[in-house]
Amino acid sequence: MKTITNYIRSLFLFELLKGLSITGGYFFSRKFTLQYPEQKAPVSPRFRGLHALRRYPNGEERCIACKLCEAVCPALAITIEAEPREDGSRRTTRYDIDLFKCIYCGFCEESCPVDSIVETRIYEYHFENRGEQIMTKQMLLDIGDKYEEQLADDRAAQANVR
Amino acid sequence: MTEDQTFTIEVDGQQLEARPGQMLIEVTDAAGINVPRFCYHKHLSVAANCRMCLVEVEKAPKPLPACATPVMNGMKVFTRSPLAREAQKGTMEFLLINHPLDCPICDQGGECELQDVAMGYGGDISRFTERKRVVRDEDIGSLIATDMTRCIHCTRCVRFGGEIAGLRELGATGRGEHLRIGLYIEHAVASELSGNVIDLCPVGALTAKPSAYQARSWELSEYDGVAPHDGLGSNLHLHVRRNRLMRVVPRENEDVNQTWISDRDRFSYQGLYSDDRLQRPMLRENGKLREADWQEALMAAARALKDASGARIGALISPSATLEEHYLATRLLRALGSNNIDHRLRQGDFRGDAADPALPWLGQRIADFSNNQATLLVGSWLRKDQPMLNHRVRQSQIDGALVMAINPVAYDFNYELDVDIVCIPSAMTKELAGVAAALGVDTLGIEAVPDPAHHGIADSLKSAAQGTVLLGNAATMHPDFSLLRALASGIAAAAGVTLGFVGSGSNDCGAWMAGAVPHRDTGGKAIAPPGLDAAAMLEQPLDLYLTFGVEPEMDVAEPARMAAALGAAQLLAIGSHTSPWLLEHADILLPAAAYAETSGTFVNIEGNAQSFRGVAAPPGETRPGWKILRVLGNLVGLDGFDYAESTEVRDEVLAACADLAPDNRIGDLQDRKPKSAPGEWERVGGVPIYAVDALSRRAHALQLTPDAWGGELRLNTAAAAALDLGEAAAVRVAQGEGSAEFEVRIDDAVPDGCIWLPTAVPGSEALGAAFGPVAVEKA
Amino acid sequence: MTYQRNLVSLNTLNEDRSWELATYERCGGYTVWRQVIAGEISPKEIVDAIKDSGLRGRGGAGFPTGLKWSFMPRSAAGQKYIICNSDESEPGTCHDRDILRYNPHALIEGMAIAGYATGADVGYNYIRGEFMDEPVPRFEAAVKEAYDAGLLGKRILGSGVDFDLHTFVGAGAYICGEETALLESLEGKPGKPRFKPPFPASYGLYGRPTTINNTQTLASVPMILRKGAKWYAGLGPEGSGGTALFSVSGHIEKPGNYELPMGIPFKDLLEICGGILGGRQLKAVIPGGSSVPVLPGELIMSCTMDYASLQQAGSSFGTGAVIVMADTTCMVRVLQRISRFYMSESCGQCTPCREGTGWLYRMLTRIVDGKGREEDLELLLEVANRIEGRTICALGDAAAWPVQSFLKHFYQEFEYMVRNEGRSMVIETG
Repeated sequence: MKTITNYIRSLFLFELLKGLSITGGYFFSRKFTLQYPEQKAPVSPRFRGLHALRRYPNGEERCIACKLCEAVCPALAITIEAEPREDGSRRTTRYDIDLFKCIYCGFCEESCPVDSIVETRIYEYHFENRGEQIMTKQMLLDIGDKYEEQLADDRAAQANVR
Repeated sequence: MTEDQTFTIEVDGQQLEARPGQMLIEVTDAAGINVPRFCYHKHLSVAANCRMCLVEVEKAPKPLPACATPVMNGMKVFTRSPLAREAQKGTMEFLLINHPLDCPICDQGGECELQDVAMGYGGDISRFTERKRVVRDEDIGSLIATDMTRCIHCTRCVRFGGEIAGLRELGATGRGEHLRIGLYIEHAVASELSGNVIDLCPVGALTAKPSAYQARSWELSEYDGVAPHDGLGSNLHLHVRRNRLMRVVPRENEDVNQTWISDRDRFSYQGLYSDDRLQRPMLRENGKLREADWQEALMAAARALKDASGARIGALISPSATLEEHYLATRLLRALGSNNIDHRLRQGDFRGDAADPALPWLGQRIADFSNNQATLLVGSWLRKDQPMLNHRVRQSQIDGALVMAINPVAYDFNYELDVDIVCIPSAMTKELAGVAAALGVDTLGIEAVPDPAHHGIADSLKSAAQGTVLLGNAATMHPDFSLLRALASGIAAAAGVTLGFVGSGSNDCGAWMAGAVPHRDTGGKAIAPPGLDAAAMLEQPLDLYLTFGVEPEMDVAEPARMAAALGAAQLLAIGSHTSPWLLEHADILLPAAAYAETSGTFVNIEGNAQSFRGVAAPPGETRPGWKILRVLGNLVGLDGFDYAESTEVRDEVLAACADLAPDNRIGDLQDRKPKSAPGEWERVGGVPIYAVDALSRRAHALQLTPDAWGGELRLNTAAAAALDLGEAAAVRVAQGEGSAEFEVRIDDAVPDGCIWLPTAVPGSEALGAAFGPVAVEKA
Repeated sequence: MTYQRNLVSLNTLNEDRSWELATYERCGGYTVWRQVIAGEISPKEIVDAIKDSGLRGRGGAGFPTGLKWSFMPRSAAGQKYIICNSDESEPGTCHDRDILRYNPHALIEGMAIAGYATGADVGYNYIRGEFMDEPVPRFEAAVKEAYDAGLLGKRILGSGVDFDLHTFVGAGAYICGEETALLESLEGKPGKPRFKPPFPASYGLYGRPTTINNTQTLASVPMILRKGAKWYAGLGPEGSGGTALFSVSGHIEKPGNYELPMGIPFKDLLEICGGILGGRQLKAVIPGGSSVPVLPGELIMSCTMDYASLQQAGSSFGTGAVIVMADTTCMVRVLQRISRFYMSESCGQCTPCREGTGWLYRMLTRIVDGKGREEDLELLLEVANRIEGRTICALGDAAAWPVQSFLKHFYQEFEYMVRNEGRSMVIETG
């Protein structure tokens, strides 16, 4: 009995039609392919992309060199050195993130008591030479300065769940 | 019930042994039962003010503080009962309401007692919604950073000041919420033990200023170390981050330093990272120094050693070099045919060498100093020279001992001296002979009529069941050291007390054991005829000098004479730092690792060998000193120089010294003629606390304290008037051929007719010995 | 019912210039001291008499005086001290001041006798700084009179008895009324209480055995010995012998010091004082100085003024300072004022008191300012509970008890204020 049903099925190319129906269905349905890089997908405010160091609105860098991010980083990607600044405040003299090591877990952002180190929505970047993967303090601050508005908005949007 | 009877108490159902008079917390601590506390410290008096250690005691209506509750037979204690817990949590909440909780920027974060205890007893959400208290900070000097808002008023620092440091500098003023810990008068804290309040402070109110913000506790690896500046060998914990020594804290050792260390031991590590560290070997070529690689430099050094005739080589070794370095240098020199080796660089008089014991030492265990009933200090500013030993003497005085001194300056002690004889240096022998005469012992032909002070000293020493006559650093540098020593020895023997030497570096005993003296070989074996001692080596110029760990213009007895001798000869200098003088005169410079960078052994002044490992990376191409000496030995073709580890060297020395026991018996003195003669002006020398060696001289923070000695000299009001000088006036001092200018400080501790001008201070390199006649005039 | 007034410590009060030696001697003063000097009374007899009299410390704690004296190692060698605590700073209390002003010789005689009984030949009278104006000169003049009459000094009246008396004026700190803080202050240190044990009887002033008694206590001693312990004990009920000086203040027609027998019903005391001011209703009474728990009017009306009765009612006899409050009083504000006092007077030594008193005051201020929250009331109580019994001295307890008792008896007033933005129930609802 089973042999007969299988024979009939193969005779009428039943499986083929079934498969084609799915193809057809997608062929006529609405497309969701993005034409990257011309088109871009929406990004969540919680997206964990490239890092940045933020400043306060008065221009003062937020980072107080508490080194909690360095301690919490599971990939040991952060290296910080600190000393008293001339005005006596506690500041970093070096803040390096090795992007080869970083696993973008976001722990650094979570551990930060002053919302200084953050992960931005930026996910498009590349390096051309060895050594360029080290993000220095100045680079991180520059990213922070450039995207501050969006960073602030993102943090505000999530304020109720953080 | 007597002291040694014990009984049992029950703590949390556990039966514990206790002695009458103990406090509950001592018993629980011994049993490893954790009772949270802030104000209690085992070496300080009980204040019972933090109220954190409240525990429930059966039959007591209220929770009682474990730190102030004496144990009683059969008492039942509950440290974790609901009542105790509630009391502890209550206190914790009160402590936290006005604490700023700025842990992210606080250097104590991660090693904070308040943080730790708050983890166990604090609430997770604050119920305190009022405004927090803010307290103004005071600048208390270059060593301690303050943030008094964080203070929880445990008063440990205040009690430390009164009970241990002997200076009531920090105090609690105001009351209630306005209670505030600070200086009564705003000035830099002057105690040489002040850094200990950093360790005592359970919160971040008092932290180390030199290492401020530089490292977090969790980044630091802790290694054991031994302090390199005085003969006590205080035990240290070295905190290292990325191969760099970040800070130094005490390691508890009841026999040596208890839980304290001096500021010098704590902050001298800054000298490791000074700009003038010698990082590469250097050779002089056509009169100019140039950098060289090790191969080249070592070959050049070996060639120089081989080329020089044995007896024309002299070696000056720092008393703070390690046992291994002393031993290898000694072997190297002796193998080259020279006995001209000495570590007693600052000693002022070598006439007593023939009478030397085989291994001079402190005469007593360090811990026994607390139990002395009488101490006579001869030429010693014990407080600044050996701070932790002074602490023991101070403890003995608190317990009723008499402390007396015969000194060339009315040194400032942190206790009242019972007899304080201050005399011009040339009269010191006479004063000491007075004491000898009072005891009826040989005065070495010095005419002395004992006065009441001498009798007082004699009687106190005689009536003490245990006591000591301690020869300090100024005595060692004195031109009549051999006489002072012989007199002191006679006094000690007649009074039935011990005679003690304090040493000038961290490893004097080790140097004697290794044989880094011209008249004794390894293990104390006498050498005849002896080689040249440190002074003779300069008087009879040699062809080649090897210096190890020495800055010749600072670390020797007579800088000017040294400059002449070493400058004219070939100079092979092995050391950790460069100096302008070395750069000008050295022919071969080999960079050696400093303390904390090399493994080695210090034999402390009580004869206790303490080994340590190298824990920080030496800069540049610097190598451990013992390895440099080992390779030099190989290169000059010596046998048995194939040590792979410093421990092999150590074991060899210690085996050779198995029969060598510390001993202070002084032989008969041949030359008994006093060398010191009174002049119109006499110089009083010594070495300031923060100028003893290359490291401390370069420790920036220490150089900013009131104890740092710049280009200044001190004289009393009468002397200043005689010379028509005011405070800060310029004065010119001439000694021998050299002369230099200094700034005047008026200090009435200096006796008439004297200037107090130590060695190893800026300007002193042009002058002669620490004691002796000088010419002084207004500049 | 009528009561005899001024029987003991103010017995010279009706005389002209009552503070002078002549007046005091005319009223029978110094007879006991002369007997003591003559060797007619032994120290043991004195201590036993004081024990039998039932005299208890009038400084607040009410510790039996005879018992305290018996703790002194009288026969032990070395210096011992007797100290009079005239640092009277408990809010509402002013009887020691009047003893210093009107009957200083009773105190001098009492101290001398106490010194003799405890083996102390040096006495200090620690007088409150604010008494600089009148009481201190009066007392010092009296001491001088006594010295001049040969009643004080070395080898008094040719006998072998020595007694020197010194006056010490404090600087006005409430905490120095605590006996060990007083000792610290007397030694020249900041007035911060010591941890006990050791108690002053073994380790007191300069580490020597010391007895510290209140002014009124010591001033009662001569009369007790003159008239006999039985007479004194009989004046009051069981356990509360003798008379007490009631400092009655507040909403009362005739505020003042009233020396009356212990155990007098509060009703009668109120009547003697002329009743509530303006004929208003009694609301509450703090019966022993601001540190003791408050009692609502209806509760205290059935009490007698002695240790047992007040304790049973949930308060304490304290210093005998009766603070009377009429029905127009806002209890929240009263508590705020009391809390401010303890915040300012905390010595700052131990944590719960240093931090807790300020917290209490700030919370109460917030409530009075109309920014209170419901949970504050529970928090107030909890903070008070966490101070009580956790401190070195009793100031912590003294700060906590008013909070606990005010909240216990007048909770609705606090609740009303919290719920109505700081408006007082008393004013709003009459």
